[in-house]
Amino acid sequence: MNALQVEQVVKVYGDKRAVNQINLEVGRGEIYGLLGANGAGKTTTMRMVLGLIYPDEGNIRYNGKGYSKELNRLMGYLPEERGLYPKIKVSEQLVYLAQLRGMSKVDADRSLKYWLDRFNVPEYYDKKIEELSKGNQQKMQFIAAVIHKPQIIIMDEAFSGLDPVNVELLKETVKEVRDEGASILFSTHRMEHVEELCQNITILHKSNTVLQGNLKEIKRQFPRESVILGTDGEVSELHQITGVTKVDRLETGYKIGISDEQAAQEILRTAMQQRTVNRFEVVEPTLNQIFIKAVGEGHE
Amino acid sequence: MKTIVGFTFKNKVKTKSFIVTTIILALLVTAGINSFYVMSLFNKDEGGPAKAEVVAMVNDTEGVAPALQEYYKKQSDSKLSIQVYDGSGDPATDEAKLKQDLAAKKIAGYLVATEGKAGEFPKFIYKSSNIRVTGDSTTNSLETALGSVKTDFIVADSLTDAQKKQLSEPITMSLEQVAVSEGNAGTNQTEEQKIAANILVYVMLFLFFMTAYMTGNMIAAEVTAEKSSRIMEILITSVSPLSQMFGKVMGMFLVGLTQIAVFVAAVAVNVNLPHNIAVLKEAHIDMSQIDPMLLIYGLVFYILGYFLFAVLFAAVGSMVSRTEDLGQAIMPITLLSLASFYISMFSLATPNTMLVKVASFIPFTSPTSMILRLGLGEVAYWEVWLSIVLLLVAIFIFGWLSAKIYRTGVLMYGKRPSWKELRKAMKAYKI
Repeated sequence: MNALQVEQVVKVYGDKRAVNQINLEVGRGEIYGLLGANGAGKTTTMRMVLGLIYPDEGNIRYNGKGYSKELNRLMGYLPEERGLYPKIKVSEQLVYLAQLRGMSKVDADRSLKYWLDRFNVPEYYDKKIEELSKGNQQKMQFIAAVIHKPQIIIMDEAFSGLDPVNVELLKETVKEVRDEGASILFSTHRMEHVEELCQNITILHKSNTVLQGNLKEIKRQFPRESVILGTDGEVSELHQITGVTKVDRLETGYKIGISDEQAAQEILRTAMQQRTVNRFEVVEPTLNQIFIKAVGEGHE
Repeated sequence: MKTIVGFTFKNKVKTKSFIVTTIILALLVTAGINSFYVMSLFNKDEGGPAKAEVVAMVNDTEGVAPALQEYYKKQSDSKLSIQVYDGSGDPATDEAKLKQDLAAKKIAGYLVATEGKAGEFPKFIYKSSNIRVTGDSTTNSLETALGSVKTDFIVADSLTDAQKKQLSEPITMSLEQVAVSEGNAGTNQTEEQKIAANILVYVMLFLFFMTAYMTGNMIAAEVTAEKSSRIMEILITSVSPLSQMFGKVMGMFLVGLTQIAVFVAAVAVNVNLPHNIAVLKEAHIDMSQIDPMLLIYGLVFYILGYFLFAVLFAAVGSMVSRTEDLGQAIMPITLLSLASFYISMFSLATPNTMLVKVASFIPFTSPTSMILRLGLGEVAYWEVWLSIVLLLVAIFIFGWLSAKIYRTGVLMYGKRPSWKELRKAMKAYKI
């Protein structure tokens, strides 16, 4: 039984279908990627999972059961638009938020201290949110989502607005939380994060599911369309090979677009006849490319 | 819920703005009460015996001046004296000379008799550089003196001195209110009780308006701030909007009570200072004359009225996404609370009018109007209880409605929704 099951969920606002028959399942200890362009229905889906709004059709099951108030204790939420009380001390508001989710004051305080230590910022305990930098406010927001040790965590645009160092730090902690058994529903526009964190994804476009499944399998479905070739000098006649669509000269070699995977072998043969080849790779399509392909058509 | 109440209360009470306003208001209350004493100090200076006032008398054809002089000679405590001014015959030069004396402060003013028919008491004009329309001690004294002289002038010697004295004595009449029917809350009141009740009603109306309006505003502002800082999204996923809203309303209620407690303490301390006790006694203000039932009813109506306004403020706050838009949005409720305040304030002197009677049953105006009727007017107990029940029903209805609006409003961002959009959203969210 998966921790979170969304079955055939439909949400209609007026005459617009915000979410059309979505299905997804998030297992224990899994980070599930929910992708889509702006306005694709991600936030509505997440709000339904959070129990803020009710689906018009379909079911959402948590550990096999329907929504109930008690679930509030088991769920954590990192909203897309960040917000904490700017004028209240970190310790006071985070303990308050944890208490609202049913944690005792002492436990909440202990948990807060653990997380502040984890982020190497124990001195923020007595600071007001408005005194912190944006990146550090993000960390506090993250703590607010995980302080009560939730089993199901919804993260909307988890890493937006962070510098690379903090992104790494947060990514590490997300993985830690996952390894402790939490189920995480994760949305982002940064495809490389998804590739690193998620096993399964759903791509939404205009309220509909356009692509869904295991990330590796999805990638296998998409043809490999480019070749990286590293040589010690110029290779001629690459254009003449059938199936080659585009040749870009790089500092250390070539990036070659192909329409057919057979062409890759021909490229290697041609190159080896002329030069020493020190690098050859038939590149998997990136999720970014897949996303643009899936969503880009008809995206205005 | 308890956590929300505590958090709201603690954080509001700690804010600088709250502390500053409360202190300023407490100081104002202190200043107000002590002003009676300070004013009495100044009055004493003015009343010192050293400053004698001289009034010149001009154009005295009927021989009023000697009689006036005689009158003032008998009044041993008066500081006025009459000086007869012999005119030169030309009114213009006389005026100029008198004005000089006025400027030199030789005289306080001058009394000009206008010529009437022979044998009739003349009319007078009192001229001074310092005339008050409402009259001051000089003019009052002159009026009394002239009245006495006039009596003498008319009756001549046909009355005895004792009879004359009786004639000139002012009439004594003290006021007392009686209830016309039994079993009414406005029981028989002596004048002192009436003054005490008057003051209490005034203070209660003011406190009700101040705290209900201010805390109401704070609720709306907090809800909007939570919404605009987006912490609302975390809050509504943690606790139900209903307990969140009522937690906030309760927390703010405690804030309001704290504020009232500070005022009451300020009043109590000041009223009991020795110098103020004397002054208040002089002014016939005796706070021990207050009917405790009035206080209890006042508190009941305050609490009920507060909750009615508070839920509305919360609902409106939830519909607005940005703090800038809040002022405009709460305008209708502001007007409602102003109406409630002013209907009662303007009716302080006339607590039994139809307007007040009707207002005391309409939930939004009833808290203030009923306090007014209880304190100063006449009201049957069944009316009070009917009003309370109506108020409770209103709180229930508006609380329910506000909770629905709140539930919907907190999720809606962007421009302030119209009622139609709100209804649509409620349907969409299945609230």
